[in-house]
Amino acid sequence: MAMRKKYLHRIMWLGLILIIWEAVYYSNMYARQIFPSIEQIIKSLASSITKGDLLMQVGFSFIIILKGLIIGIILAVLFSFLDYFFKKFSSFLDTIIGILHPLPGIALLPLVIIWFGVGEKAILFIIIHSVLWPMTINMKTGFRSVDKEYIEVSKNLGMNIWQIFYYVLIPLSLMHIVSGLKIGWSRSWRALISSEMVFGAIGPFGGLGWFIFEKRVYMDTAGMYAGLLVIIIIGMIMEDLIFGRMEKACTKIYS
Amino acid sequence: MKSKFILAIIIIMLLMTACGKKHDNTVKIAQQYGLAYAPIQIMKEKGFLEEALPNNKIEWVKLSNTAAIREAVLADNLDVGFMGIPPFLIALDNGMKWKMMTGLSSCPIGLVTYDPNIKSLKDFAPTDKIALPQPGSIQHILLAMACEKELDKADALDNQLVSMKHPDGFSALFAKQDIKAHFTSPPYLFEELADEDNHMVVSGEEAMGTEFTFIAGACTEDFYKNNQEEYNAIKEAVKKTIEYMENNKEETLDILSDLYQMDKEKVESYINYEGMEYYTDIKGVDEFIDFMVRNNYLEKSYKSEEVIWQ
Repeated sequence: MAMRKKYLHRIMWLGLILIIWEAVYYSNMYARQIFPSIEQIIKSLASSITKGDLLMQVGFSFIIILKGLIIGIILAVLFSFLDYFFKKFSSFLDTIIGILHPLPGIALLPLVIIWFGVGEKAILFIIIHSVLWPMTINMKTGFRSVDKEYIEVSKNLGMNIWQIFYYVLIPLSLMHIVSGLKIGWSRSWRALISSEMVFGAIGPFGGLGWFIFEKRVYMDTAGMYAGLLVIIIIGMIMEDLIFGRMEKACTKIYS
Repeated sequence: MKSKFILAIIIIMLLMTACGKKHDNTVKIAQQYGLAYAPIQIMKEKGFLEEALPNNKIEWVKLSNTAAIREAVLADNLDVGFMGIPPFLIALDNGMKWKMMTGLSSCPIGLVTYDPNIKSLKDFAPTDKIALPQPGSIQHILLAMACEKELDKADALDNQLVSMKHPDGFSALFAKQDIKAHFTSPPYLFEELADEDNHMVVSGEEAMGTEFTFIAGACTEDFYKNNQEEYNAIKEAVKKTIEYMENNKEETLDILSDLYQMDKEKVESYINYEGMEYYTDIKGVDEFIDFMVRNNYLEKSYKSEEVIWQ
């Protein structure tokens, strides 16, 4: 019931935005090249899907983000594990996070081009950089917030650090891990799209950032809005279907 | 609930009025980086436009690429934009109401590679990547022209293009990793050719077949019709600057070497490089239009009076 109400509200707000949008369009307040109508945007979206590479570009974006996220998760788990059990590594990690976390991936781009060239590796590097630090920080905080008593009990039961890590730390900090994932996901999107817009396509047809960039250079404004629309839709789907469910599953485990 | 609706509408209305168009006596001109824009920089340094329009406020805006300049003109934040002819035509074809008002410069541009085996476009393997600023840029169109001439297919190399800004393409070419060639303009072209590992595969002029204007200035219909005085003043100021540059070579070099933080000798060799010219004619428009219509970069064809203010 609550779910239905949520969607009802969402549709209502969306409807309002659409009405205002069209009103502005028909008021001729802005040039057509700045403010296209919803019809133009939908048409451009449809033709990009049927005639262009949009679906491939979305797929390509997904694959590279997935790669970056998986590598990021593995590294984040490893770092947080070492951080929890080895004091020396912990201070090292804090220093590294202090140095690297504030660095925007885009700022590294010119250097990454020199080191890795312009291929997929370069973008992957930027994505991993963008997701690794926030996910590590979240996971670390999750582990730290686990009650010390559980750890003591596990030790008394004769568990080794791997067992403690797997059976105690991870299950008890699931909430933090999921929210870390959520941050990682949105960071990786941002990293991908901004790097593509700054430095161009990687691979034969590029991803969504390239899609928007290409629409921009050919001055197809409706197409630019269509690109944003795709990003919004993907974001909403991920939020509702994947992360929403993950969070629900987590709360169920705890209750 | 109702009050929230009203609040939202009021906020949106306020936002809209804030960015509405306004007409005042400010003249906004975009500055770009690169020797092809030298007259604009000299004009600003010498204050020629300020002199000609004492009652106007002249604002110099710094923007880094053609798309941003077009968007700024469209949003009425810029009166005159300087760019290559192809990106100007693409905007015109998409319904932007503007025409070119003056030429600014022509300069040597070309495709540079470090691979000694690549002597012509035919020698590019399908995996060789070519860096250039962006699709639809003058570099891209010239490369497509060369492809049409040599390979009978304008988009023959389109799948191998990597869109990079000049400095990034420059370092990628020298990194010799995955960029095989770079289509670029001065000073990057000169710097690349100064390295003996590199050579030029095709030049802009070979691709085009004739001389062409590299950078031209364009303004909107609105500006042309309602600001005749400013329009004429800008045209005159460009002319005056170019004359000044010819007659005061030493001072010109001083200004430019200061601006670009380069040795005077280097700047001198650059602006005296063959093909580096400053003039107000607009050349090569018909050739660009013919080619771009033939290869679907433009939907319609245009006569020269439709693209240049008379």
